[in-house]
This record gives sequence, C-alpha cells and structure tokens, in this order.
Amino acid sequence: MLVTLLELALYFGMLSLISVGGLPSVMSEMQRIVIDVEHWVAPEEFLQLYAVGQASPGPNMLIVSLIGWKAAGLPGAFVALIAMCGPAAVLSWWVAGLWERFKHSPWRAAIQRAMAPLVVGLIFSGGYALATPHRTPEWRLWLIAGAAAAGMLLLKKLNPLWLLAAGGALGAFLL
Amino acid sequence: MPVTPPRNLAELFLGFLAIGARSFGGVMPWAYRTMVEERRWLTAEDFTETIGLCQFLPGPNIGNSAIVLGKRWFGLRGSVVAFLGLFALPFIWVLALASLYADFASHHVVRAVVTGVGAAGAGFFIATAIKLSRPLVRKPGAVAVVLGLFITVGLGRVSLFMVLPVAAAVALYLSRSHRL
Repeated sequence: MLVTLLELALYFGMLSLISVGGLPSVMSEMQRIVIDVEHWVAPEEFLQLYAVGQASPGPNMLIVSLIGWKAAGLPGAFVALIAMCGPAAVLSWWVAGLWERFKHSPWRAAIQRAMAPLVVGLIFSGGYALATPHRTPEWRLWLIAGAAAAGMLLLKKLNPLWLLAAGGALGAFLL
Repeated sequence: MPVTPPRNLAELFLGFLAIGARSFGGVMPWAYRTMVEERRWLTAEDFTETIGLCQFLPGPNIGNSAIVLGKRWFGLRGSVVAFLGLFALPFIWVLALASLYADFASHHVVRAVVTGVGAAGAGFFIATAIKLSRPLVRKPGAVAVVLGLFITVGLGRVSLFMVLPVAAAVALYLSRSHRL
C-alpha cells in the first residue's frame, strides 16, 4: 500500500508540474499511466470515473481522487489530490511573481504565444483518448462525444449539464 | 462600488466552501458569482485578471486562483484555507458518489448511461480545443505543433514526458522567430 501511495504521489506530482491549461492537458498522459502502466483502472472504467467527476461539484481535478481511491482507498484519494495540486501550486506561486515582473519582456510574450498550440494539441489528445478507451475506433462513443461537442459549440447559452444528461440518454440507447 | 474582501479566515473558508458546494458543471461561473457578485470580494476586472494569469500556470485554474487570492488576503494560511474550502465538500461528494456508483455499476443500463455522460465530457474537451484553436488556424507552425502532439500523444500514446520537451522547444523556437 505504501508503495502505491508513493507511486501515486510521484506520478500525480509530475503530472501536476506539466498541467498547464488544467486537467485536459494531462488527460491522455494520465490515462496512459493509470491504465497502461499501473493498471489501477480498467480502460472502460476510466470513462465512467470521469463521468462521476463530471456529475460532482468542484474542479474536475477531483477525478484524481477517484483514481487514488481505486488504487489505495481513502489514503490514496488524499495523496492523489494533494500530489496533483501541490507541486503546481508551489510552481504557480513562484511563477506568478516572475510573470508580473517580466510583464514587458519579449520572452514572456514568446512563451505565451508558444503555449497556445501546445495546450490545444494536448486538449485534443485528451478528448480523443478519453473517448477511445481501447485504442480501437469506438463509433458510438465518438458519436456521443461529437454530438456533445457540437452542442457546446452551437448552443452557447445552454447549460452544459443538459448536454451531459443528453449524453447519458444517448448512452442508454446506443451502448 | 466598494470592495469588501473577507475579514477573516472563517469568511474566506465559508466563501470558498460555497463555491465548491454549488459548482456543478463548472467552477468558474460560481466563483465569479460568489466572489464578485454576492460577496464583493473583488472587482470583475480583478477576477478576470487573476483567472487569466492562472491560465498560464500549471494546475487547476480555480484551485490556483484560490491559492493566489488566499495569499493576497491572508498569506500562506489564506492560501491553505481557501484551497481546503474549495475542495472539501466536492471531495466528500465525489467519493460518496463513486461508492454509490460502484454498487450499481453491475447494471448494464447504469453503466451505459454513465459511459454516455463520460463520452459527452470527452466531447467538451474537443469543443474547448476547437474554440481555443480558432486564432491558430492560419498559422501553419501552430497547426503543425497541434497535429504533431495529437499524433504522438493522442494516437501514438507516447509519454508526454518525452514529447512535451520537444514540442515545447519547437513551439518556442517558432514563437521567437515570429512564426507563431
């Protein structure tokens, strides 16, 4: 159990440091570690845990608590959450000061511009990985994901919770 | 309109507790509502600037904002208290919900519905990525970076720890030579 807790702390701590743009950026890497490398969660389970996180209030980072819980019970849930938020918080604290000081530096502008395609590429990958648990085409999951994406892009005033509910209903029909 | 920041740690905690507890579907709108509209802890501009800064920092956007704002008002203790307030109730809820789900997960329909919800969530990622990519479509360098990441990380499932340094170096190079 202790080994698992250390692994949770290590992996989520590392993910924490590169999670620029929030959870979506590290989603595919998290899946790779949690499913392929450590086998804490089965492929189709991951999507379900994500859904439970979606149906919960609070930041969607909380999915890491569920993974930690699956891996090592309640201590795992705590360790995972602290590890996921801690290093980033410390880094942010430090960077926030620098960011302000170098407001007009060309390097800062260059870094800001560079981050955009990185974050976009990672979020695309995250969404794709989430909807493709078994690495084989999943037309039904892709259909639901596509419908939700279209809904979010086209029906801007609609509360996303309705789209989640619609996803659930489609799931009942198709899956 | 005068700004009335939290007077003590208890107020800070309760404020963030209220945000965490109500934030179904997304924390940002509730953070705004609670801090700017209901409690007038800060102005709308201040809020937007803080969030904007946190976009570029690793970690959860709102979580970082809690830390940054907590620090502003009460130093390190403020950061810890704000963070705990935000996550406390959601943490309990998510574990309770997961336990409940575990009991019912053997029913095929329950699993199907929940998987559908998860798939919709994946769709949100795609929509967000599309929204963020709009300013990038005319920049071939940016498109190349996005595609490169998608192919290696999304399709190839190569470890991010190997891909990201390379991708970041490429992106930074393109950015410095004004091709981004």
